Amino acid sequence: MTNSVFMKKLFFLLLFVGMHCFSQKNLPDLNLSTLDGKKVSLKNDFSEKDKLYVFSFWASWCGPCINELDEINEVQEEWKKTVNFEVIAVATDDSRTQKRVKPLVNGKGWEYLILLDTNQDFKRALSIVNIPYTIVVKNNKIVHIQNGYVPGSEVDLLEKLKSL
Amino acid sequence: MKLYQYLLLLLPFTVLSQEKAEASFFGGFESNAQWYLNDTGLKDEFNNPTVHPEDPIRSTNYLFLNFKYKNWSAGIQHEAYEKNALLNMNPKYVGRNVATYFAQYKTEKIDLTAGYFYEQFGSGLLYRSWEDRALGINNALRGGRVIFKPTKFLTFKSIYGQQRTGFDVANSKIYGMDAEVTLSDVLKYNTTTLSLGLTYVGRDEKTAIENPKFKNLTNGFAGRLSLTHNSFYLSTEYDYKSKDAVVQVTDQIDNNLIKAGSAVLLNLGYSKKGFGIDGTFRRLENMSFFSERSAKGNSYNDRIMNFIPSLTKQNHYNLANIYVYQAQPNVILADKDLVKAGEIGGQVDVFYDVKKGTSLGGKNGMKLAFNFSNWNALGGTFYIYNPQDYKTDFLGFGKRYFTDYNFEVTKKWNSKWQTIFSYINQYYNKKMIQETSGEVNTNILAAEATYKFTASRSIRVVGEHLWADHDKKNWAGATAELNLNSKLSFYLSDLYNYGNDVDYLRNHYYNVGGAYRKKATRVALNYGRQRGGLVCVGGVCRYVPESSGLSLSLNTSF
Repeated sequence: MTNSVFMKKLFFLLLFVGMHCFSQKNLPDLNLSTLDGKKVSLKNDFSEKDKLYVFSFWASWCGPCINELDEINEVQEEWKKTVNFEVIAVATDDSRTQKRVKPLVNGKGWEYLILLDTNQDFKRALSIVNIPYTIVVKNNKIVHIQNGYVPGSEVDLLEKLKSL
Repeated sequence: MKLYQYLLLLLPFTVLSQEKAEASFFGGFESNAQWYLNDTGLKDEFNNPTVHPEDPIRSTNYLFLNFKYKNWSAGIQHEAYEKNALLNMNPKYVGRNVATYFAQYKTEKIDLTAGYFYEQFGSGLLYRSWEDRALGINNALRGGRVIFKPTKFLTFKSIYGQQRTGFDVANSKIYGMDAEVTLSDVLKYNTTTLSLGLTYVGRDEKTAIENPKFKNLTNGFAGRLSLTHNSFYLSTEYDYKSKDAVVQVTDQIDNNLIKAGSAVLLNLGYSKKGFGIDGTFRRLENMSFFSERSAKGNSYNDRIMNFIPSLTKQNHYNLANIYVYQAQPNVILADKDLVKAGEIGGQVDVFYDVKKGTSLGGKNGMKLAFNFSNWNALGGTFYIYNPQDYKTDFLGFGKRYFTDYNFEVTKKWNSKWQTIFSYINQYYNKKMIQETSGEVNTNILAAEATYKFTASRSIRVVGEHLWADHDKKNWAGATAELNLNSKLSFYLSDLYNYGNDVDYLRNHYYNVGGAYRKKATRVALNYGRQRGGLVCVGGVCRYVPESSGLSLSLNTSF
């Protein structure tokens, strides 16, 4: 890599870091299907005032994603006593594995609203590279991002939700 | 595009985004760099050590910027392959340039896009454009798209354009139309959803062949239906591709074998809380579809127009990814023992949640998953010598390609311990799938345990073993992953091909690395050996050669 390329990259990097401070992200304006084939609008259907919407990007083949959703499923009723929130599990499965989503979700007894992001429009709009990836949305703005999951990350998430 | 041009582009939007709530700016950056090293300990089949390629330091970089103002949005993706793309990526990815761009106007009823866009009709068996950076796939269409939703239950889409290949576009025109109606909304059903879809896709490629026995324009038609009623669901799709020259080997268009293609997909399932079962059947005949005929079968998935995933379980253990099935939509008439016109088969999945408090489930419950898949070549009558031809039977089962039985048990013992146990049995017909020789039967056992030290500190250890009767024979593998906290993780892993018949091929593939995550940013560093073979994402694979070295990846969004 030549020096000028490196400098350019560094410059871009700094530029983005700077922009972090200014950009306040809205949810992209997309319509996605639920498991029952109903269409929901990201713009209009997740806009209850001050409610926290936790969108968790996962896939049926992603081990850590499933661990995260298993853990949250166990504790979410308890959490709801203190925080007004809802978890939406966004399945990024493409048509190879998408048909496994429904039996897996039911088999695990998850009580989330599941959205199907079959051609990954939602994932791409947020420039998500790796899953699991979780965003918290309040009043249509993305107010928190958690990328990756390790056992115990859900505790950090709860603390964060309480502070938002 | 020069740096200052970017800045000029960015400036008005950043100013806007601070002043008005309805304007926003966001984007992402991803960089994957690799430093290939010489490795005298890692031998190839001819006993030669691994030598780094020319330009040992390589990287692929993607910068995506998106601006939105009221109903308008625009975006641009810049890509840089410095110096050169990673090993065995599409050689058309050279240097750096603007790769894709678009402008879009969107309301409740209408959505207009000009520039590069991604689209999928139905299951994608006839048309899908998508991006998969790990595989080097980006087959976005450059042209225009109109999506019209006159009512809540009707969606019309039409697309037109040329397909991206490298930093250029393919030499053909693609047209497409899709209509979807949610009948259950029209009929005001409450517990049932029913939708129907119809697709047309045309590819117009002028051929250079003299007196072609096929038309420049190849037409594709598809119909689909999806039904959900309480706990039951069903979906089906039929695709048809009009007569076109068969390409058995990349770049060899056969003017004497002109055949149509088709696909049948049927999925049925039942699920309720704690239990789910799902079955899929698929039949493919001569169904590969490329924006240029001669591109068929190229090893980089370049100019691919449709998405034909292998319908098998995507196993996550390392040793379960050595013999990976790839869908077989193609025609090969090589000799009487190697004839293909497609595939036929299916898979079944069962998920079951053993309840807490039962004798089997214990205090914390237990989760079970079972999967079975089997794929055969399409049966029929094949004529190998002049003139070549074939005639398939609708439910004809030819030679077996692949079988996989697997079973997984996940058990949480208490708040500290969780274990997963997996057993996989595979049959892999290497001769038929890879067009080489041999058949392999494998048994794979994998066990993993996670232990939580504190709220966010944990360790995960995995042990794996693969027994194989042919090819590279037995393997053992182990991984340890330490999560220091929710931001920082380290890992160490090794795969050892101790059972190889050839002593200098009994290689260790060790890797050590770490990852740091904070908000939308992730940085990962890895040192080690890459096992040669297929890297697959979503059932589409890319071949990577053996290599040794250091890799750094960084991604962020803002």
